[in-house]
Amino acid sequence: MSQEMLVLLAKSLWETTYMVAVSSLISALIGIPLGIILVTTNRGHILENTPLNQILGAIVNATRSTPFIILMVAIIPVTRLLVGTSIGTNAAIVPLSIAAIPFVARIVESALKEVDYGVIEAAQAMGASPREIITKVLIPESLPAIVLGLTLTIISLIGYSAMAGAIGGGGLGDLAIRYGYQRFRADIMLITVVILIAQVQIVQSTGDYISNRLNKK
Amino acid sequence: MINLQDIEKIYQSDNGTIHALRGVNLSVEQGEIFGIIGTSGAGKSTLVRCINMLESPTKGTVTVDGQELTSLNEQELREQRKKIGMIFQHFNLLSSRTVYQNIAFPLELAKCSKEEIDKEVLHLLELVGLSDKKDQYPAQLSGGQKQRVGIARALANHPKVLLCDEATSALDPQTTKSILELLKDINRKFQLTIVLITHEMQVIKEICNRVAVIEGGKIIEQGRVIDIFTQPQCSTTKEFISSIINHNLPDFFKEISLASDPSADSNLILRLSFIGHSTEEPVISSMIRRFSIDASILYGNIDHIQTIPFGTLIVELSGEQASLQQALSYLKTRELGIEVIGYVARNARAVG
Repeated sequence: MSQEMLVLLAKSLWETTYMVAVSSLISALIGIPLGIILVTTNRGHILENTPLNQILGAIVNATRSTPFIILMVAIIPVTRLLVGTSIGTNAAIVPLSIAAIPFVARIVESALKEVDYGVIEAAQAMGASPREIITKVLIPESLPAIVLGLTLTIISLIGYSAMAGAIGGGGLGDLAIRYGYQRFRADIMLITVVILIAQVQIVQSTGDYISNRLNKK
Repeated sequence: MINLQDIEKIYQSDNGTIHALRGVNLSVEQGEIFGIIGTSGAGKSTLVRCINMLESPTKGTVTVDGQELTSLNEQELREQRKKIGMIFQHFNLLSSRTVYQNIAFPLELAKCSKEEIDKEVLHLLELVGLSDKKDQYPAQLSGGQKQRVGIARALANHPKVLLCDEATSALDPQTTKSILELLKDINRKFQLTIVLITHEMQVIKEICNRVAVIEGGKIIEQGRVIDIFTQPQCSTTKEFISSIINHNLPDFFKEISLASDPSADSNLILRLSFIGHSTEEPVISSMIRRFSIDASILYGNIDHIQTIPFGTLIVELSGEQASLQQALSYLKTRELGIEVIGYVARNARAVG
């Protein structure tokens, strides 16, 4: 393989890592609070608010049911508004984040729902405020499940990022299509697939390890 | 210490309304252990949750230690709750925290300093006998140990009242006993008022001073444990008590035809119940000496409610009818509960 190809590979690897890392971070920052709101505004929960719960639920469902490739194109005006351009790696981060936020929200929601309501009740009986219940009970108690959920999110984002090529986002997936597929470079195709598999493996193993360390059950 | 007045609780659910509490009045004195017993669905869990307002009653007032909780806002209520400890059937410990951190939790909520927390937690660990487990996680503990952590956690803020929601129902009899001992100990040591709900009469018998029986959202009977045990009025109460003390006639009585009136040739069957000191008096033997009658014991049972002994005896008296009636009048002058079960023809009895 030529020097040039190696540089290209390194660049693509960086682009994928960059896109996935930034959009994971953004989706976690917004998706986790959203998931917490989805749980706590549920009927009978500490911050019961049925209208808010239903509206958020509907938005989350709508976003999740849109295929990523369509979402990416459909929100181009938003992307342009946010990053000033609709093409490139930074532009790809917007749809990636928007697709992952509801995913994270639902994962966090189901993780928090696993927390036994009795424990919440015990905290209430000790005079804990809703904020204290969220920060001292709900999040610590469901942290192992949240970590596994975020691991899943990162892996999904690695997959989604392969489509970023459609809006010039670059990355390994884009490289595989442009060189491996369109220029019949089987070696490029092979090596990008191997790198992607390795990436997913590393993320999954790290996530499992952290989650296990946190789990005291 | 605790005063509940006309408490009503109505739940609105998708399948209609549930009237969980229908006008409950209850008052618990400072320093006593008050039991609330009922079958599942009777409303006892709702009732105990009304005391610390985990459930806010639809109607009525809750007063704890002179403070009316039903009139407070959320913020004020949270402050008051810190003075009411609670333990649960399933312990409800934080699985992500160690034993030490679990007990420290309410102190963190009360914004205590690290030093205060450390001092208090170590003291509590010693009180419940878990000093060696302080760095373990709840998953590594047995049920009884978990409940001990629950108790230590509930006591951390020096509460005036401890609420126990089926605190021993998930434990085996041996562990139940040790947890009850611990509660009794705490009650004595800190003059702590304890309200406990349970479906096990054994628990009531073991540690409660007074008891209320709840059914269908209403208190159907309440009083001193010894009175409720020896003279239950309602059928539900009798049923609960029969789980540990047999108030029913032994089965073989079913085969005997009993008459309610005496005849010249019949024996008298009596049930005698003894409470406290009367158990020490030799009633039967002095009766036999005074009147020329015979007594055979058909059934007997002596038990203790905490330190007070009490018992039941079913005896069959035989002799001249006149002597039998004299004996009966004599027994009525003693400190005994007497119930005439009936008269049985002398030759009709296979037993005795």
